Amino acid sequence: MFSEQAALTAQGLLAPPSAEPPTFPRVPVSGYSDCSQPFQLGERSFSRQYAHIYAVRLAGMRPGLERRARSQWGNDIVVRKLSELQAGEMCCVVGTLFKAMQLQPSILQEISEEHNLVPQPPLPKYIQPSDELILEDELQRIKLEGAIDVQRLVTGTILAVYGSEQDDGRFLVEDHCFTDLPPPLPWNGPSSDRFVLLASGLGLGSVSGEALLSTQLLVDVVTGQLGAEGEQSCAAHITRVILAGNLLSQNTQSRDTINKAKYLTKKTQAASVEAVKMLDEILLQLCTSVPVDLMPGEFDPTNYTLPQQPLHRCMLPLASAYATLHLVTNPYQANLDGVRFLGTSGQNISDIFKYSSMDDYLEILEWTLLAGHISPTAPDTLGCYPFYKSDPFILTECPHVYFCGNAPRFQSKLLQGKEGQQVLLVTVPDFSATQTACLVNLCNLTCQPITFSSFGADSED
Amino acid sequence: VTYKWLSYTLGVHVNQAKQMLYDYVERKRKENSGAQLHVTYLVAGNLLQNGHVCHKVAVVREDKLEATKSKLSTIASVHVYSIQKALLKDSSPLYNTDYDIVKTNLQHCSKFSAIRCAAAVPRTRPDAPRAPVPAQSAQAQRDPDAASVLNGHGPPAAKPPQQQHKGIMGMFAAKAAAKPQNTPKDAKAEAKEAPGVSAASSKPPTKNNIMDNFFGKAAMNKLKANSVPEQPKEEKEAVKPSVAVAEPESSPNTAAEKPGKKTESARIQLRDKKSKTKRADRSDDEEGDPGSVKKKRKRIKQLESDSSDEEDVPVSPTPEEETAPSPPPVPALKTELEPASTEVSAGGRKRKRKRVLKSKMFIDEEEGCMGKTG
Repeated sequence: MFSEQAALTAQGLLAPPSAEPPTFPRVPVSGYSDCSQPFQLGERSFSRQYAHIYAVRLAGMRPGLERRARSQWGNDIVVRKLSELQAGEMCCVVGTLFKAMQLQPSILQEISEEHNLVPQPPLPKYIQPSDELILEDELQRIKLEGAIDVQRLVTGTILAVYGSEQDDGRFLVEDHCFTDLPPPLPWNGPSSDRFVLLASGLGLGSVSGEALLSTQLLVDVVTGQLGAEGEQSCAAHITRVILAGNLLSQNTQSRDTINKAKYLTKKTQAASVEAVKMLDEILLQLCTSVPVDLMPGEFDPTNYTLPQQPLHRCMLPLASAYATLHLVTNPYQANLDGVRFLGTSGQNISDIFKYSSMDDYLEILEWTLLAGHISPTAPDTLGCYPFYKSDPFILTECPHVYFCGNAPRFQSKLLQGKEGQQVLLVTVPDFSATQTACLVNLCNLTCQPITFSSFGADSED
Repeated sequence: VTYKWLSYTLGVHVNQAKQMLYDYVERKRKENSGAQLHVTYLVAGNLLQNGHVCHKVAVVREDKLEATKSKLSTIASVHVYSIQKALLKDSSPLYNTDYDIVKTNLQHCSKFSAIRCAAAVPRTRPDAPRAPVPAQSAQAQRDPDAASVLNGHGPPAAKPPQQQHKGIMGMFAAKAAAKPQNTPKDAKAEAKEAPGVSAASSKPPTKNNIMDNFFGKAAMNKLKANSVPEQPKEEKEAVKPSVAVAEPESSPNTAAEKPGKKTESARIQLRDKKSKTKRADRSDDEEGDPGSVKKKRKRIKQLESDSSDEEDVPVSPTPEEETAPSPPPVPALKTELEPASTEVSAGGRKRKRKRVLKSKMFIDEEEGCMGKTG
């Protein structure tokens, strides 16, 4: 796909120097518009409670859910609020899900440190068979049981349940539904091959440097220095590079300055300073040749809460001199050549992974699309800004490409919706671990992984 | 010796460098001179992995070349990656060579690449160093465009040494036609940022705005007086569109650009210049930067006001003042700055003073200002 036409001149460079070799102009970006305004925070005030975000989330998704419920279970079903429930009546209730988990890290348990109790260590998954689901709406809450998968769902999902209230005060669920895919966007994709490179988890600043050559190879392929002529002309079709988070590695997160004595740490620099300098150099090489969108990730120097704001351009003095560098927010939405991209750096997906029995990142990605919300666990277990006017994470339009970064491995799937939506789901693998990036072809919505490797001391391939 | 190293050192296209390496290998092998050459190749192609077609790019040693090639279902490219005398145990020397050579050539890293991006034009920024990308045409287009660009960008209009970039200008000659595309892109990119910058009050202030708050009216008046006559001259003169963008932009720009700030930013730009003569300046830059940071802090206390009229003060002249005294003065700059010779000396004085007494810089400049206008 990417380089099939390159195969013709594959061996072309195994020859004596020829005349002036061709240079290929990069395919210009015909249409780019950044649609991530809802994720950009202006003035931030944290004096509000988080309850408002749930309220606006419910209010925002309720109409869509009611419509969906009617289409699924019939037009004549009764939609009730929890306060209006009558025992034994089959009705539909729309509300927010809350999962009571025993193992969920709670701030109260952290306080137990003061009582010399051992705090809970971080676990890969916090689910337990004894978890319970509770449905909340604006005023009341009710326990759910029945045909609903407790392990799979996470807190913060808005859904509609169809069932009846039992005598003991619980709600017996017969069926439930989510908002399903949002309405489709018109397709204005390009007619010829255009590629977008998605990479994440560059992991600069880590102690080990194995991925460095692979990173350099990646930069070389994109900037057209690597490869024979055919491959270079194919690389000229890469219109954009999106780096989805975790540009710095976890090692840069060490906060020695907090634990160690001041005299020990006075002259040391934070590890992230060197890493950012390296990042700047790599970005400069990329920016001279291709537009780059830089999304911050979990370990990057920006705010922790979602939506993460763009990295500040002062950190990248060399690269930010170029107009081709775009520093964007963490959930990132943009129109590239008529194709709508939406993606995150993976924090939302990995958070759902921790609190749900779903194991596959691609499955979780698809589930968030069906649930109509990018990150349902947001204020509960994932840091989030206390929105109160509207929840920007609600999916109102169906993107054409929906990606998440820092997944354990590469996966992609083309999802077809009932209303004609076509979404390419891509889990972008962590580059520092897998040395794989993804190439998305905008013309036909396909995705191909591209792996880089070099030879190591043990000389295996 | 990697192909990239060869390409930068000899100044040739990367493909030519690869071919040169291959040619060398072939000839040496034919001569059979006995010196063992170890070659690494780059192989790229499609490979079926985990059920989907994966594009693999690998650097392999010669002995593994055929094995890797046979693994790939379609081979997209094969070329020589590097040659060395000794057998490499792992690829870190390759990476180090490339890293070093790229680091020394950071500003022109795409010069020898096979792909040219028309949109990769450095934009002018107030406190970011500018990598000058010359383009002869579209200057006129840039001026009205830049004028319409929102305020908030006070680019230090330091002029990079023109001699150095004549070569690049030649290379980018083909890009002239593509420049109009850049202008709207630049304008758009900057317009996008401008809301961020102009909304300085609400958003966390960018460095630009921090500068703005520091600079007093005295400095601004001085700038106004001096730069207005200079500006039209500069606009005529400016060869690089980036600089041209800087100037008209600097007029609507946040006047914050104080001379000191400009010198600092000028120095930052100077830092990017590759000419040896500028290295002296570079040391100044390093000194200047912490000094200017201290200066900034002092100024916060001293000057609280002035954000509104900053918009109109053109920023350009002072950086030129700074560049002019710098060792290899670009002839064009000199001619342009002839009328500004007094400012040159003032700039020189300023710079010297910066080296010595950083804390008193502000006051010195004030005196300098007053000396000029008075």
